[in-house]
Amino acid sequence: MNTVVVEESPVPSAAAKGTGGPRGVAALARFEARRLLTSAPVVFSFAVYILWTVWRTRSSWDGFPALQDADRATQGGPLLVGLGVLLAADFAALRDRRRGTQEWFGTLVLPAGRRTAAHLLALLPVVLLTAVCVAAQFTWEALKPGAVGHGSPAELLVGPLTVLLLGAAGVLLARLAASVWAAPLLGVLYLFFLVLGTGPSGDTGGTAWLYPVVSTSGNSPFPSDLLGRPAAWHALYLAGVALCLAFLAVLVAARGRGVSARAGLAVALAMALTGGVAQSRGDSAELLAARERASAAPEKEQRCVTRDGSTYCAFDEWVPRADDWAGVVGRVRSLAGDPARDRPLLVRQRIEARYGLDSDSAIPASTRRHQVTVGTAWGGNRVPEFSAAVAGVLVAGSEAAAAELCDGRMVTVMWLAVGWEDDPMGTLRRVRLDDSVEGAAVVLAPTDPLSMTAGQTDVVRRLLEKDRDGVAAKARAHWDELTSPGVTTARAAELLGVPGPEKADSCEE
Amino acid sequence: MTITVSASGLSLHYGRTRALDEVGLRLSPGVTGLLGPNGAGKTTLLRVLATAVPADRGAFTVLGHDPGTVRGRQEVRRRLGYLPQTPGFHPDFTAFAFVDYVAVLKELTDRRARHREVRRVLEEVGLGDVRGRRIKKLSGGMRQRVALAAALVGDPGFLVLDEPTVGLDPEQRMRFRELIAGAGEGRTVLLSTHQTEDVAMLCRRVLVMAAGSVRFDGTPAELTARAAGRVWRSDRRDAGAKAGWRTGTGEFRQVGDPPEGAELVEPTLEDGYLLVLDGAVDAEVAA
Repeated sequence: MNTVVVEESPVPSAAAKGTGGPRGVAALARFEARRLLTSAPVVFSFAVYILWTVWRTRSSWDGFPALQDADRATQGGPLLVGLGVLLAADFAALRDRRRGTQEWFGTLVLPAGRRTAAHLLALLPVVLLTAVCVAAQFTWEALKPGAVGHGSPAELLVGPLTVLLLGAAGVLLARLAASVWAAPLLGVLYLFFLVLGTGPSGDTGGTAWLYPVVSTSGNSPFPSDLLGRPAAWHALYLAGVALCLAFLAVLVAARGRGVSARAGLAVALAMALTGGVAQSRGDSAELLAARERASAAPEKEQRCVTRDGSTYCAFDEWVPRADDWAGVVGRVRSLAGDPARDRPLLVRQRIEARYGLDSDSAIPASTRRHQVTVGTAWGGNRVPEFSAAVAGVLVAGSEAAAAELCDGRMVTVMWLAVGWEDDPMGTLRRVRLDDSVEGAAVVLAPTDPLSMTAGQTDVVRRLLEKDRDGVAAKARAHWDELTSPGVTTARAAELLGVPGPEKADSCEE
Repeated sequence: MTITVSASGLSLHYGRTRALDEVGLRLSPGVTGLLGPNGAGKTTLLRVLATAVPADRGAFTVLGHDPGTVRGRQEVRRRLGYLPQTPGFHPDFTAFAFVDYVAVLKELTDRRARHREVRRVLEEVGLGDVRGRRIKKLSGGMRQRVALAAALVGDPGFLVLDEPTVGLDPEQRMRFRELIAGAGEGRTVLLSTHQTEDVAMLCRRVLVMAAGSVRFDGTPAELTARAAGRVWRSDRRDAGAKAGWRTGTGEFRQVGDPPEGAELVEPTLEDGYLLVLDGAVDAEVAA
């Protein structure tokens, strides 16, 4: 076998004029990025994601978001984008195989490993766009006048990193499975997983953090320092896993060749392992102690401010919300008679953090006189619930006593609680557990609920249909009797100028 | 004569099938035709020269670069334009995007210069006006021209064309001949075809392959000359004819061993090709 030495071509080709290497990868990445951004799965998933985000964020948290929860709310939408990117990235990486150009284009300059690297780099604009959407969603929440708290950059990174991870998975899948059905099949399984909502929550153990997005099911926001979510470690873990998949894809395409890819895989693996181990350590003893303190003795952790003679004590992040609470207290007191009308109250923010973020444990009613509990959520139904608690304390003296009310005082409590609202009947309906304005029902409150009998409901409904100022004048005039233990519902109705119930209420019998 | 592509001892087996058997060749600038029956090994040879598949044995160089090494293979690919027998297409790409994609894979990294080059080759193949049209909306002939543009992009020094005119109507074939003739100016073109007219009209040299080896290597005139004195006409089919058919005038045109006193006619390149394949004339192969 011999090789004939020949002369160089007299016409050097343009392709031979010193291009290539990283610049070739960058050029292909730009080309693929444009196609990826305009591919049907990505456009569709982004459209749905943006529409859903806009629709949801308009009314999320009733306009009073706690930003340490709002950051986590940015993580769900990118799961859908990730699915679109997974499909589109897989299809793009399989394009030459699907269209029978693999051998032809295999004779072109850019080697398979670099083409795969370009497909992976092409994910970056989509990831960046997701990051912009996440930032916009969070900024929208943060700019709401009722926003409190602090978001976590690491939590905000989860969405974009999830898109990167799923995109890299799509490219790797294309390198491992030649079938065009592999990615759609994976997508169906993924959708099944999403729709069924079988995603993990943070309190199901350390393994839950192996998933990209770890949700929480509790409804009450925690102070930022009590969250205990290993968000930064999780972001490191996600970045490590995404890079592992990416470097694996490059190595598979390059048939194991490439020192830098192998080194990159080692670093990515180290990142994933470090993040994975660190995020799975569970709640620290310090955190558990802090949650215990915040739950059992919040007064030691809180800051207090005074508004109109009443004191409002809250965890630092919620102190700016004192004005909203004071507004409700002032409106309820404006309908009450003396001495309740001017009685200073202590509004104390209370949480139950001992059972973790996923717990919806009830907060027991306070037995302290003239102390009202307020939660960490606000807006929507939380307002009339707090209003009911304020009214209960003004009438019965304490939350515990209000929870035990079963006489005509309940009429006064509920009229005070909802009477100041613009739509008192609608508010009455919402604050009752059965969403009705007839019959007996439980009335929600920040702590133990109150109870209304059918007769009390009838009387309150009649009161709400009458002129508010007229009823308020009668309430003030008969305040002592209306708030006396043992006053019947019929008597309360009589004092307030509306017909009483046809028969005695069950709890008065 | 400058030798730009040279191969020696190229062999390739698919299982027990010997697709290439000690093939050697030397190419120089201009269009070289590659003729041969189906299964002769033409496409395999082109795939090997285009670095699509490696040969089991033998070596070759393209424009001074040895594709036996990773670096050499890259250098060959930088200088190569390849149009396979059945090029696939990405139907959702526009003609421009498809050629641009190929240009990117050829590592033409400067976007502005690359786009200029893509527009140039699309103009060259007569598709400048439809460059924004999706490939799935183009006719078969237009698609073939897109593939040729993809092969031409980057101004490769060595162009490998595997039956580019198959399936085209006569007008499209003529248009393609024009394109290939233009492409052969200043670069080395290896054109595999079943169309002997293409070779006669386009090529400075012709190779004839059969059973994995090169049976003839010479000019078209030399191939035609192989049939000199071996083509005749008569009123009937003669026993010595390797091939013969009745023409429009009612006479038989025959190729082979003419009888005594036969009326000889001017041979064509196709006559020479038939006789080379038949082994009736001595093969003349480059060492």
